[in-house]
Amino acid sequence: MRTAQQQLIHMVNQIAANNQSGTLEDAAKATSSHMQKFWARSMKADIIEYLDTDGADLSDASKAAVKLL
Amino acid sequence: MLEYFEPSKDLGTPAVLSDTMVTVEIDGVSITVPEGTSVLRAAALNDINIPKLCATDSLEAFGSCRLCAVQIEGRRGYPASCTTPVAQGMQVTTQNDKLGKLRRNVMELYISDHPLDCLTCPANGDCELQDVAGAVGLREVRYGFSGENHLEAEKDHSNPYFSFDPSKCIVCSRCVRACEEVQGTFALTIDGRGFDSKVAAGQDQDFIDSDCVSCGACVQACPTSTLMEKSVIDQGQPEHSIVTTCAYCGVGCSFEAQMKGDKVIRMVPYKGGEANQGHSCVKGRFAFGYATHGDRIKEPMVRDSIDQPWRVVSWDEAFSFAAAKIHKIQDQYGRESVGGITSSRCTNEETFLVQKLIRTAFGNNNTDTCARVCHSPTGFGLKTTLGESAGTQTFESIRKADSIVVIGANPTDAHPVFGSLMRRRLREGASLVVIDPRDIDLLKTPHLNEAIHLQLRPGTNVALINALAHVIMRDNLQNDTFIDERCDSEAFVKWKAFISEERNSPQATAEITGVAPELVIAAAQSYANAGNGAIFYGLGVTEHSQGSTMVMGIANLALITGNLGREGVGVNPLRGQNNVQGSCDMGSFPHELPGYQHVGVKAVRDKFEAAWNVKIDDQPGLRIPNMFDAAISGKFKGMYVQGEDIAQSDPNTHHVEKALKSLDCLIVQDIFLNETAKFAHVLLPGSTFLEKDGTFTNAERRINRVRKVMPPLAGLADWEVTLGLAKALGYEMNYAHPSEIMDEIAMLTPTFTGVSYQKLEQQGSLQWPCNEEFPLGTPTMHVKDFPIGKGNLAITEFIPTEERSTRRLPLLLTTGRILSQYNVGAQTRRTENMAWHSEDVLEVHPQDAEDRGIVDGDWLGITSRAGNTVLRAKVSSRMQPGVVYTTFHHPGSGANVITTDNSDWATNCPEYKVTAVQVEKVSQPSTWQKEFVAFDKKQQRFLRPEQQSEVNH
Repeated sequence: MRTAQQQLIHMVNQIAANNQSGTLEDAAKATSSHMQKFWARSMKADIIEYLDTDGADLSDASKAAVKLL
Repeated sequence: MLEYFEPSKDLGTPAVLSDTMVTVEIDGVSITVPEGTSVLRAAALNDINIPKLCATDSLEAFGSCRLCAVQIEGRRGYPASCTTPVAQGMQVTTQNDKLGKLRRNVMELYISDHPLDCLTCPANGDCELQDVAGAVGLREVRYGFSGENHLEAEKDHSNPYFSFDPSKCIVCSRCVRACEEVQGTFALTIDGRGFDSKVAAGQDQDFIDSDCVSCGACVQACPTSTLMEKSVIDQGQPEHSIVTTCAYCGVGCSFEAQMKGDKVIRMVPYKGGEANQGHSCVKGRFAFGYATHGDRIKEPMVRDSIDQPWRVVSWDEAFSFAAAKIHKIQDQYGRESVGGITSSRCTNEETFLVQKLIRTAFGNNNTDTCARVCHSPTGFGLKTTLGESAGTQTFESIRKADSIVVIGANPTDAHPVFGSLMRRRLREGASLVVIDPRDIDLLKTPHLNEAIHLQLRPGTNVALINALAHVIMRDNLQNDTFIDERCDSEAFVKWKAFISEERNSPQATAEITGVAPELVIAAAQSYANAGNGAIFYGLGVTEHSQGSTMVMGIANLALITGNLGREGVGVNPLRGQNNVQGSCDMGSFPHELPGYQHVGVKAVRDKFEAAWNVKIDDQPGLRIPNMFDAAISGKFKGMYVQGEDIAQSDPNTHHVEKALKSLDCLIVQDIFLNETAKFAHVLLPGSTFLEKDGTFTNAERRINRVRKVMPPLAGLADWEVTLGLAKALGYEMNYAHPSEIMDEIAMLTPTFTGVSYQKLEQQGSLQWPCNEEFPLGTPTMHVKDFPIGKGNLAITEFIPTEERSTRRLPLLLTTGRILSQYNVGAQTRRTENMAWHSEDVLEVHPQDAEDRGIVDGDWLGITSRAGNTVLRAKVSSRMQPGVVYTTFHHPGSGANVITTDNSDWATNCPEYKVTAVQVEKVSQPSTWQKEFVAFDKKQQRFLRPEQQSEVNH
C-alpha cells in the first residue's frame, strides 16, 4: 500500500487527470485551486517539499499545479 | 407539498386531490370537499363518524364490511359510504333506525366467529372491532358459537416481532391491501373462498418463510389483535406516546414512541410525518431494542494503553483525563496534531458542537465526518453544478414523476419506506431505468411496466452517464428553453463540444461499460421524453474514484433536459445514515464552516470568530484518510470520534488499525464498545436517539425533531458530553437545551436563519433553505434560479479506475447493504433482525462458481491487493459474471480488509464499489480474522463487566 507521500502524489496526479480538459495551464490552475480549497496546510507543505526535492512521480500538470501553490 | 394523510384521525379513505369542490349535505350539515372524496371521508372531516371496519385512510376504499352503509336521498338501498363519492347536492343520512339495525346485524355476524376474550386480549383498549361493537350497540349474538368457526385456528409466532392469530381475523383485507398498496410487496393474500377465506402469507407459509419484509404495515392496518406486536402482547398497551424521528436511514421517518413510563413498548409510524406519512420498515418499526441492550456502555472509562483494562471513572475525571492528554499532545506535536470526527447518527446540534469544539478548543480545522466515506462527492458535485450541496426535491415529489432513473442505489433495502413510495409510482405507470451492476429488487416490483436495466461493469458509471447525455444531445432530446434561460452559456458550449465527441457515444462506450447501445438510447429517450424525469442515486454513484464526476454527470443530465425546479423531477441523493445531510450542513467538513461556508473567506471567519470569540484557522484541515496517513507518519496523535466506527466502516482495515494504534489519545463516544473503541484510551458513553432532544435532517433537507423519550442511560446526552469535554479543554460552551444550539446555528448559517424549535413545533418539519426569502422552508429547490445563478454544465471526462481486474485478481468485488441490517450493524446486530441476516456472505455468479468448484456454503478466501478475508459462498445470478458482492454488517467478516485506499479524486470518498479480487475455496478463517477474534476477546475482557451496573432489558 502507499506511503503518506505516495498517497499525496497519487492524489494530486488524480486531481490533475480529472481536470485535463483544457490546456496544461488550465489543468494546473484547476488542480492548484482544488488543493488550495481542500487540502490541509501540512499536505500542501509536504507536496511542495516533494516537488522541491524530487517531483519525479508528479505528472506535468501536477508539477505546474504545485508550483502555483 | 402534497399531503395525503391527516395525522390525528382516521378519515376512512385517502384524500383526493381535486381543484373542483363539491357541496353535500350529511345529516343536515352542509359540507364542501374536493370532487371524488368519499362520503365516509367527507363526514369524518366534519366529525360525523360513520362506523367502519375495512376502511382506513391509508388504503383505497374496499367496501367489504358494509358497516359504513348510509342512506342517500333519491338512491336505492344502503350504499357503502367508503366507496361512494360525493356528488353536488347529495343528501346523506348516516344514522337512523334502519341503518342501526343493519349495522348491528352485520356486527353480529362478525362477532359470531370471534373469540369473546376482550378482557385478556392484547388489543383490549386499542381494538376497532371492540369500538365498533360498542358504537353500533351490539347486545347479543343470536347465532351462538357452536357452529363452524375459526376460533381454533393455529397461531403463527414465527416473526420475531409480531404474532398472527387468525382466530381474531375478520378478513377485512386491510393487511393484504396494506402489503400491496402501502408497502408494495404483495406478500399477503386472501386464501380460499366464502367462509373458508383466510389471510395467508406467501404460499400459505409462516410469515418468516414468506416474502414478508416485516415493515409492520399489516400490523398497523389490522383493526383487531390478529396481527399484533409481541411487545404489546407481553407488556400490555402503552400509556403515552411522543413523536420523534427514526435514527436509521436517510428517509427520516417520524414515529410515535409509545411508552409505559420510560420504557418503549412499540414504535408506530406517525401519519403526520411528512417523510414517511405513516409507513415504516423493519428497522425503524421494530429494531429499537439495541437502545437497552446489555452491551450498552453506561459509565465513562479511561486507560493509558490499549493493552490495559478500562478503569471506570466519573464524567469529570474522564473529561480531565482526555483534556490533559490532548493538551500534552498539542504541546509536544503542535496545534494541528489532533482532530475529530462528527457523526451522521447524531443530531445536528451535537454535530455542530463537535466541529465547534475542534475549531475552538483544538484550534484547528481537522474535523471530518462519516459522510466522507459515503456522500462527500454529492456535496462537491452538486455544489459545482447546481450551487448547493443537497438534493432538490421532497420524497413526495416522486408521485408526479413520469420517468424514474435509479443509479447505484437499492431503495427497497437501504431506504425501504421511500422504496415503497417509488414502487407505488411505478405501479401507477412511471417508467423505470436502473443503472446498476446488480439485479436489484426494485426491478422485481409487482405490476411494474417494462423496465430498462443498464447492467454496467463496476467502475464505468461516468462513461455511461456521458453516453446518455451524448444521445440526448445527438437526438435533439434536450430542453433548449431551459438551457437558454437557466444554464451558463459558455459552460454549455464547452460541454456540448465535449459530450458530442464520438468517444462518448453509446457505441464507443459499450466496450467500456458492457451495456448495449440500444439500451442506452432507450434509457435516454425514456428519461428525456417523459415529461417529468427524476433521478435517484446512492453510494453506487459516489463510492468510486470518479464519484464526484458522476454526480456532476447526473446534474448535467437534469440540466440539459430541464428536469429541475418543479415537482416530479430533480436530482435526489439517497443518503445512507439518518443525518448525513445534517452532518454535512453543520460544518463537519474540514474546509467548510456550517452552511458550507469556506474557512478561507475572511468575512465568514469574522462572523464565526465574533460569535465564538476565538481565531479560526484560515486553512482547511485534514480529512479522515489524511488523518490516518498523518497518524502513521507520526504527525497526528489525538482524535475525538463521536458515534462513528471508523475501524469497521473505513476501507483498508490494516491501514486504519495501524493509524489508530499510532495515536497517543483516542477518545471514542459511542453507545457500545465498537471496533474503534477497542483502540481507544477514553470511552465516553453515548446516548441513543431515544435519550436526547435535537434534530435530524433527512435526504430531502427536512429538519425533523428528535425528542427525548427516556433519560440517557449514562446520565448525559451526547451534546452534554461534548460540552463537558470542551470545558475541560478550556473552552466553555453554555447551552441549557439543544434549542439554544439551534438558535446559534440559525444565527450563523444563512440557509437556517428561519429555523427554530418553536417553528418546528408549529410546522412539524422544515426543509432548508429556511430563511427570510423562504420563511416556511423550501420543498423544491432551484425553482427560479440556482445559488450560483446559472446552472454549470461540468466536463465529465471518463478516467478509468486504477483498480482493474488482472490475471492474479480476475474478479471485481462490489459491496452493499440488505434490508434487515444497518451499515456496520452495531444497532441491528443487537436486535432480533439477526433472524434474517446473521452473517455476511459472498455472492458469486454461477459461472464463476462453476469455474472454481464453488457451491453454496463453501468457505471462500477473498484476496485483494490490500488483504484477504474469508466468507461463506452464496451462488447468485444477481451480478454478471466476473463480479462478486458482499455486505459489511458484521465486523468479523473483514469486508474492509480487502477494500483499498483508492478514492474519489475530489473528495477522497473511498472506492468501496470496485476492488479487484481473487476467490478460492479455503478451510479456515484468514489471519486477520483470527487476530480479530483474539483482539476482540481481549478488549471485551478489558471492559471489566463487574463494574458495569445491570442494564434493564
